[in-house]
Amino acid sequence: MSSTGENAPKEFVYPVEVEKLDVGYPEQRVLLEKISFKVAPGEIVGLLGPSGCGKSTLLRHLVGLEPIKSGQIRLFGQDLWAGGGVHIDSLRRKFGIMYQGGALFGNLNLIENVAMPLKEFSNLPQGAIMVAARLKLSLVGLEGFEHHLPSSLSGGMQKRAAIARALSLEPKLLFLDEPSAGLDPVTSAGLDGLIVTLARNLNLAFVIVTHELGSIMTTIDRAILFDKEKKGIVAEGTPDFLANHSETLEAKAFFRRGSNNSRTTHA
Amino acid sequence: MPLPLAINKPLELTFTADDTVALQGDLDATVPAKVWDKLLKRPASASSASIAPSKSLTLDLSGLTVLDLNGAAQLLWLKSIFEKKEMTVSIKDVPENFSPIWDLACRTLAPRAPLPSKDTLIETVGHHFSDFFKDMTALIAFLGEVIANFILLIPHPLKVRWKTTLAITEKAVVNALPVTALVAFLVGLILAFQAAMFMKLFGVDIFVADLVGLSIIRELGTLLTAIVLTGRSGSAFSAELGAMKINQEIDAFLTMGLSPTRDLALPRVIALTLATPLLTILADFAGLLGGNVVMITRGYPVSVFWTELSGHLSTSDLGTGLFKSLVFGFTVAAIGCQRGLATGSGPGAVGEATTKGVVTNIVVLATLDSVFAVLFYVLNW
Ligand SMILES: Nc1ncnc2c1ncn2[C@@H]1O[C@H](COP(=O)(O)OP(=O)(O)OP(=O)(O)O)[C@@H](O)[C@H]1O
Ligand SMILES: [Mg+2]
Repeated sequence: MSSTGENAPKEFVYPVEVEKLDVGYPEQRVLLEKISFKVAPGEIVGLLGPSGCGKSTLLRHLVGLEPIKSGQIRLFGQDLWAGGGVHIDSLRRKFGIMYQGGALFGNLNLIENVAMPLKEFSNLPQGAIMVAARLKLSLVGLEGFEHHLPSSLSGGMQKRAAIARALSLEPKLLFLDEPSAGLDPVTSAGLDGLIVTLARNLNLAFVIVTHELGSIMTTIDRAILFDKEKKGIVAEGTPDFLANHSETLEAKAFFRRGSNNSRTTHA
Repeated sequence: MPLPLAINKPLELTFTADDTVALQGDLDATVPAKVWDKLLKRPASASSASIAPSKSLTLDLSGLTVLDLNGAAQLLWLKSIFEKKEMTVSIKDVPENFSPIWDLACRTLAPRAPLPSKDTLIETVGHHFSDFFKDMTALIAFLGEVIANFILLIPHPLKVRWKTTLAITEKAVVNALPVTALVAFLVGLILAFQAAMFMKLFGVDIFVADLVGLSIIRELGTLLTAIVLTGRSGSAFSAELGAMKINQEIDAFLTMGLSPTRDLALPRVIALTLATPLLTILADFAGLLGGNVVMITRGYPVSVFWTELSGHLSTSDLGTGLFKSLVFGFTVAAIGCQRGLATGSGPGAVGEATTKGVVTNIVVLATLDSVFAVLFYVLNW
């Protein structure tokens, strides 16, 4: 009933709309003040900023884990915090999330971890679910580890398995908290490639918190740079623009640190 | 839900030609139940119609509005099922915008890796048996390690972590006073009450005092204290050390050149070993008090109970009880610590270690108590 023109070619809702949101924990100082941004379908948005500036907290707000104090979050056009728990739950099925620490279910093996959302929320036959889960695990380079428990894997492998699980329902929106931290450059590049493929071909929107300059430059369409002191967004744009043309001090610092590093490794 | 993204065209199958099936709609996780049944049951019905079952099947994807990885997985699953029935499946007309996804899925999914074969019954039994022995070896080795560490520290008493030991004594023993006393008091009461009912028949209910006294001081006071400590402190030790193991704190300890046995387990073992006899004395007293209360209700003055008791109890009775409690205190703490330090990995591991610690402790307590009973009988203590 909301659509004005049934055959409008490119009508879409924004997967994420954030308006004048205060980020922070109750009874503590606000970490980020009145921030606003939008994420379009198929867009890969990077949330950048110094450690402790509140990126993970912002993600917790976005996925409905941490109540917000003021402002508004709309996912797919719906106000996340307007309704009660049931409302949030129904919205939650529309996105996937990978937590900073992986957060795999320790008592399930990898394939069961990845298959679980499909088992819970779809009517697919068991065999097809298993193939789908195997496919997701292979995508993140974990074929052969289907029957391992998370605890018997390395940190990077757990991370990749967590991404596979976030992909389980192939939601149109994925939140990834530091997906490539702790991964070797090759795996990390493979992961970046996967993210781009999914975004371009399935129109998945990604909101990625990351510090990896390599991933930032190759994957991200639009970077949003937060700052701890200014408690807000200090720069926004393509990584290329922020790295080479932005006059913002924080952006220069953030991206120059990377070039410094590469110089020192070169020497 | 009126969500734009949830607008899905449920998948439909159209059987166009004999061996071609056209798929229309969304091929993703929203595929309705039983859609595939139609397709999977089809060859059977074809053969029952006495037409030779077709050896090939073509899936026409041109009508798909969505194809994602979950959809591709379903196609691959179908393919594998039909290929098991020795049919060839071909996919045609993958819409151009979905072909990267389809290609990605085909490229990614390696041939099925063989599942790890399940153990046979004999293997399972064998594994359990050998695990049990390894477990016991580890446990006994640890007990030895604790004792060795203790002996090594005797010439350097200041190196023992007395502060930790005292803190643990307070937490594990002093705070256990009320519950131990209560349990012992009630057991003494019940024991005396049951015995008195029966002995009254023979007019010998004065001997209730001896019965309660002997059982409490030689056996029950000691055992009850040990069991309370198992549940209260042994399990806490397992959980504490297990959590440290999981958080790699134990690893950090080791790499700093510290010894978990000496610095973590030993203070706990010393605390419990030294304090258990004291706690046992309290439990004994509480148990006797329980017996005394019953005697009073039966009309015997307080002094009669104690006089009767002192006539039949010897110091060796008290001595055996306290000696046992010393040993029990040691095993409860040491086993609790060993189980904690031997915690595996994973979220259930700490719980598992705690359970294992309590079970091992109770089994060991019961076994040791029987061994002591025989030993003391032979030695005539
Ligand atoms: N559960 C919590 N309750 C209260 N404060 C918290 C909680 N979790 C984190 N904080 C505080 O919020 C601030 C931001 O933390 P957050 O995890 O969002 O940072 P971040 O930007 O994700 O950093 P990093 O890049 O290191 O992951 C920190 O100062 C932290 O101390
Ligand atoms: Mg974080």
